[in-house]
Amino acid sequence: MRKLSLLCSLILLCGQLWAQTRTITGKVQDDQGNPIAGATVQAKGTNTASVTTTDGTYTISIPQKVKALIVSYVGYGREELSIGSQTSLTVVLKRTDQSLAEVIVQVPYGTVKKTAFTGSEGTITAQTLDKQQVTSVTKAIEGLVPGIVVTNGGGAPGSSSNVLIRGVGSYQASSDPLWVLDGIPYDGSIEALNMDDIASVTVLKDAAATALYGSRAANGVIMMTTKKGIRGRNTVSVKAVQGYLSRGIPEYDRLGSQQYYELMWEGIRNALVYGQGYTFQSAGIQASQRLTTSANGLAYNAYNVPGDQLVDPATGKLNSSAKLLWNEPWEKALFRTAQRQNVTLGISGAGDKNDYLLSLGYLHEDGIVRFSGIKRYNARLSVNATPNTWLKSGVTLDGSYSNQTGLLSGGGYTSNPFYYTRNMGPIYPVYQHNLSTGAYVIDSATGQRALDWGIPSQMGARPYAPNSNLVGSLALDERSDNIFNGNGNTYLEAKILKDFSFKTTFGITYYDDYNTRYQNSQFGDAANIAGRSTKKSDRRISYTLNEVLTWNKTFGDHNFRVLGGHENYKFINTQEYATRIGFAFPGSPELDNAATTEAASSYTDNLRIESWFSNLNYDYKGRYLLSGSYRRDGTSRFYPTHRWGNFYSVGAGWRISEEDFLKSVRWLNELKLRVSYGEQGNQSLLNPDLLTQKYYAYQNLYSAGNNNASYPGYIPAGLPSPDLVWEGNKTFNVGVDFSLFDRRLQGTVEWFNRISDDLIFGVKVPGSTGFTSFNQNIGALRNRGIEVSLGYNIILKKDFDWRVDVNFTHLTNTFTKLPPGVTEIVDGTNYKKIMVGHSIYDWWVKEYAGVDPATGDALFYKDVLDGNGKTTGQRVLTNNSNNASSYYTGGSSLPKFTGGVTTAFRYKNFDLSVLVTFSKGGKYYDGNFQGIMHPGTFGSAWGKEILNRWQKPGDITNVPRLQNAIAGQDASGSSRWLYDASWLNIKNITLSYRIPNSAIRKAGISGIRVFGNVDNAKLFTSHKGMDPQFAFDGVADATYTPFRTVSFGLNLSL
Amino acid sequence: MKNISKYLLPALLSALILGGCKKSYLETAPSNQVTTDVIFKTTEGAQTALDGLYRLTYTFGIETYGGHDLFGQKAHDLIMDVMGNDMVINSRGYNWFNGDYRYTAGTDPSDGLRSYTTWMYYYQIVNNANNIITAIDKASGAQSEKDKIKGQALFMRAHSYFYLVNFWQHTYKGNESKPGIPVYSEPTSKGNGRGTVQNVYDSLILDLSNAETLLTGKVRRDLSSVDITTVQALRARVALQMEDYATAATYAQKVTSSGKYPLMDNAEYQSGFNSVDNPEWIWGTKVIVDQATVYASWYSHMDAAPFGYASLGQQKKITKALYDQIQNGDIRKTVFTKPGTGTTSIPDYTQTKFHLADPSSWAGDYMYLTVAEAYLIAAEALARTGHEPEAHTALETLIKNRYPAYTSAALSGANLINEILLQRRIELWGEGLALLDIKRLKQGVNRPTGAGNHGAPNYDAIVYTLPDQDPKFLFRVPSEELNSNKSMTAADQNP
Repeated sequence: MRKLSLLCSLILLCGQLWAQTRTITGKVQDDQGNPIAGATVQAKGTNTASVTTTDGTYTISIPQKVKALIVSYVGYGREELSIGSQTSLTVVLKRTDQSLAEVIVQVPYGTVKKTAFTGSEGTITAQTLDKQQVTSVTKAIEGLVPGIVVTNGGGAPGSSSNVLIRGVGSYQASSDPLWVLDGIPYDGSIEALNMDDIASVTVLKDAAATALYGSRAANGVIMMTTKKGIRGRNTVSVKAVQGYLSRGIPEYDRLGSQQYYELMWEGIRNALVYGQGYTFQSAGIQASQRLTTSANGLAYNAYNVPGDQLVDPATGKLNSSAKLLWNEPWEKALFRTAQRQNVTLGISGAGDKNDYLLSLGYLHEDGIVRFSGIKRYNARLSVNATPNTWLKSGVTLDGSYSNQTGLLSGGGYTSNPFYYTRNMGPIYPVYQHNLSTGAYVIDSATGQRALDWGIPSQMGARPYAPNSNLVGSLALDERSDNIFNGNGNTYLEAKILKDFSFKTTFGITYYDDYNTRYQNSQFGDAANIAGRSTKKSDRRISYTLNEVLTWNKTFGDHNFRVLGGHENYKFINTQEYATRIGFAFPGSPELDNAATTEAASSYTDNLRIESWFSNLNYDYKGRYLLSGSYRRDGTSRFYPTHRWGNFYSVGAGWRISEEDFLKSVRWLNELKLRVSYGEQGNQSLLNPDLLTQKYYAYQNLYSAGNNNASYPGYIPAGLPSPDLVWEGNKTFNVGVDFSLFDRRLQGTVEWFNRISDDLIFGVKVPGSTGFTSFNQNIGALRNRGIEVSLGYNIILKKDFDWRVDVNFTHLTNTFTKLPPGVTEIVDGTNYKKIMVGHSIYDWWVKEYAGVDPATGDALFYKDVLDGNGKTTGQRVLTNNSNNASSYYTGGSSLPKFTGGVTTAFRYKNFDLSVLVTFSKGGKYYDGNFQGIMHPGTFGSAWGKEILNRWQKPGDITNVPRLQNAIAGQDASGSSRWLYDASWLNIKNITLSYRIPNSAIRKAGISGIRVFGNVDNAKLFTSHKGMDPQFAFDGVADATYTPFRTVSFGLNLSL
Repeated sequence: MKNISKYLLPALLSALILGGCKKSYLETAPSNQVTTDVIFKTTEGAQTALDGLYRLTYTFGIETYGGHDLFGQKAHDLIMDVMGNDMVINSRGYNWFNGDYRYTAGTDPSDGLRSYTTWMYYYQIVNNANNIITAIDKASGAQSEKDKIKGQALFMRAHSYFYLVNFWQHTYKGNESKPGIPVYSEPTSKGNGRGTVQNVYDSLILDLSNAETLLTGKVRRDLSSVDITTVQALRARVALQMEDYATAATYAQKVTSSGKYPLMDNAEYQSGFNSVDNPEWIWGTKVIVDQATVYASWYSHMDAAPFGYASLGQQKKITKALYDQIQNGDIRKTVFTKPGTGTTSIPDYTQTKFHLADPSSWAGDYMYLTVAEAYLIAAEALARTGHEPEAHTALETLIKNRYPAYTSAALSGANLINEILLQRRIELWGEGLALLDIKRLKQGVNRPTGAGNHGAPNYDAIVYTLPDQDPKFLFRVPSEELNSNKSMTAADQNP
């Protein structure tokens, strides 16, 4: 109000100075045609300005000589309009998120103007999120904010990605950031939220930004805010999107039937020659005889000649008169182009004393593998009321119900379609065939083609995954999750005394996953026991209650904001399941239909945290900024005397551009230097699986459920760790924010040094003591890096603009401390070793020395030991991988740098934007490829590269001799499978068109935008088939591949 | 407004302060775990730890590893048999135990592989036993109960050491001073060195003799619990392995003369060796349906009738060579598929000795020690110590039960011993003693080949002969142990 009157008096003043004035009226609206209230309209080159009213209209008196108006509004762009002879001008402002000035940043327990902020953050607004047609917000933030790395998290419908902020900050505790939804730490499912409800995502990175969430902020904080009703904009909006999903990463090229038989023959022959001393001639004869037998061969003969005549024993070539009887790739039978539909209806608005928003969403996404998909229904209601001048209250309720039908997508299980189809030899069909004609066998009961289950009574005991057929079993089995995820947030805010305000917030999240796993009674794994069904309920409830008292005071040029508060957090997880076998009829997986209980279990876990916190923000003239915070947290995870941790931060900022000596530098709009330091804690201790939480590590426990027949039995749960304390994260951050050339170029450059110490480790103890590790706070890890983000409006015209945003992160990760006496910790499973000076993900593998040209053996290096078993520094070659030594060879799985580039064009009503993300450096262990480069495992598919195998003395190649069942040649855990992990992904292309308002206004429609986009358009990697973004540690798994989505959609508002 | 805030502020401030909770707010406890103090407060509690220990003998997986060849003691019995001469694997199937059959499994020391899982399996039992042995004296309860629990834990520790030393070293005799395996007398997280084979045997014999004392006069709850006869049966097996025949004879006869274990009748013999009610079982465990480990179970790998791994190509077969040495009329010949009667799913020579009582459920009990073995130990040990008449009696008592026309009367000296060893192979086929016998008899591996025996058209064993004390007999010390045990260096690795 004060500002407005100031402006009015300015106008008045101006009017007196320049007698020759004229009056311009008009309206400011957004690109949907909605009025923008409070926008500034300024006469170019003067101090004359006006502000729009609630209906977006303005009136401004300007000197005659002024040729143009400059119109701007927080969160929107800036438009310059030449006036000419017009007296009425309507201005359309586009929403932007890059305007550095006056941007509001979401911080713990409140908001702060970006210019006054001393911390490090990155904000992504709804406009940017809206471009990506993904189901989980975790999949949309990659490449948009520097300092974060995201896995692709698998492509299963409804899956989320893992996110790391500024590197891996822990070893045995979680490195996941804290997610906060509308001010309440969020334990619900992120993929349950409707992307269309999210107004902004703010990534808080340094101590100054996150310290108020000290206890859980060690790995950074991601604040999500949801949309609210906006004053003066009562709207009804509809968004509808139709998408088509296909595989985003191609499958490895694999051998077809002919080459498969020929190379298998070679593998059998070589096993007899090199393994058992046969001559080549007799081995060739044996190999031809064995090739299609069950006991020592492939069991199936896909050709129309007798199995022992399939391959010529002398040449190893396929019989030229043999005709292929069937060729049925399993991926064709199991994969598909899937569809995705997403519709959101929003109704929102605001009056003088209240605002409201109602949103309803529906999502249907099928997986690219048949029998997988998700249906999700969302509803959200947000209401805020200001009944009088000192009280404000509001509530947000949202619920989502999703039904996911899935399948096992991970691990080397034959029930995992990715593993199954990749590794199934090409000669094994989906359907049964007549062995001499190749004709389909018809199932007399159904009249349909009979499926081949790979069992002796059908076509034979298939050596790869006998007694299975995923086309058959996935159709009959059920693997589903019915998830309810509900959030309720409510607050009461009161202004008390003069400068105080008190706010109490209560939030509750309820998550319930009702899971069914049913193995059918007719075929496959559970046929003999007439089916098996498991029903499982996983219920998580969390409560957060906080009370915050804030004091805002200005003394002259000194501005103070001080807050103090208290928070209680309670998390309850209840799990129960039961399994029954023996179904009388196929079809229903409900337990009542089954006879025998095979398993039953239930338990509850509790976690509690209590916190006290305070925060001070001070600035002098908005030029010198100072912030500090202190927080004390207690957690139930640690022993009573160790459970309280103290966390703090200090931050300072200097807006150099506000200094008088820079005010005259016209090209410099904003220059801010900021520095912060602080310490936060981490208590999210994980079990050795690094997935599930460990709540009671300090206690010396025996676990139930190890019953001996009908007698209850308990076994030790592990070695207790009563000395555990909070992990600490000490972050130093220095950053420069700038905005240049009439705010056309904006950017931030930051350097950070993040020391994670008192790291909790599973310290190895000798397995002969009965356990292999226990937890101790012993290590320190440093993440250090540079982040750069730049945005430039290359063209900024009325009908055409073009903006490019680039961000770039370079990060190093190094262990700086290990426990006394421990010089190294070996993680044999993931081929890593930790040592001071090395990163958490440095490869420690056997060094592959290629293939011996004389013998075709795979060669590895081996240390020469002295009499005491110590290394002598010398090394020799060995052809027995069991004797090979491991080395730091191959660097790390962590990239050297990562980043993203967004380029956005607008021409009149067309918008085109492209997001490219990239990662350079690091190595990826492609275990999936390793699986199809075996030396001759019967039944398993072969990658095309196997054709380069060694065949005869003198051959120079990197692929060793084929030899079925060879021992000691396994290159598992060797550098042979390390590939350059660099990648570049055209992550999103969006083209949209806004239908001109004039064309639709008569229909009562205020805006229509149509768009098309492609997510994951194209991924470039060093090795076809590889998915280097799968996991931070660089270890592959046979998971759901990421998919490409091509979508078309429409936004409509009334 | 002023008035309201005057009252509101103090109210809110006090709410803020009261928001701080009671101290107990941060005390949480797991719902499916109890503290060690609770477990060992009473003998009743300690009994649950003992039952947990017994459960480990048939539980699935080890640590985070869940291979379907990991199901406790019976998995190790099967390893011992597939490494022997008399068990043939029909075809490759799902590859479980094929590496053991080919003598490649135990020689890779990587995490999660055979040497690691076997090591961890037995040492996990040792640690559980050590917890009980150390804590039981302070528990409240009758002394007799404490003795009973302690005796059983001592037995379990000895049993594990016996298997460990036999997987990681050649037989006792002649190798007494070779590296053994780490021995622990109490729970610790500090690793011990390998010591010598002699140390290991000294320790386990002491445990068994203490167990024998503690369990004297105690009545056990059920067959899964160890009683004095169980201790004696294992003591006899250990003595035989050590070639201490006098002790072996003494202990084996204590078992056979205990009167507690009558021999089966023929119908019982054919009933599948699947129930703790089998009169010949000295120690075994009841496996009820919710504790059965389904595909990862002994019956999955042995019984070719249900859809377990044995039916998916890995049918376990007796060699023709041994089958032909079973007399016609011997009931033991009927538990193998007669040549010429086999089918694709149950080929000739496939074992049917061990099978589920009901193929539509995976519940089937596990046999650990039997009186039949005691008879055979007694016979062999007596024959080797010059007590041939008693040896004949022990042998004939058992074998006449299987084959009424049986007599060994005409045999003496080496012939008698060979006959006892032959009967031992026939009687104990599939019971997990093959590798122990190969080691102690120092004959190496000699697998018969040709039709019905090892090799094509059956699964290729690759290894058909192996000289005694070949390094391939030895499991490698897991890398995990060498990396973390300060009392060991790379030089402690087996060759």
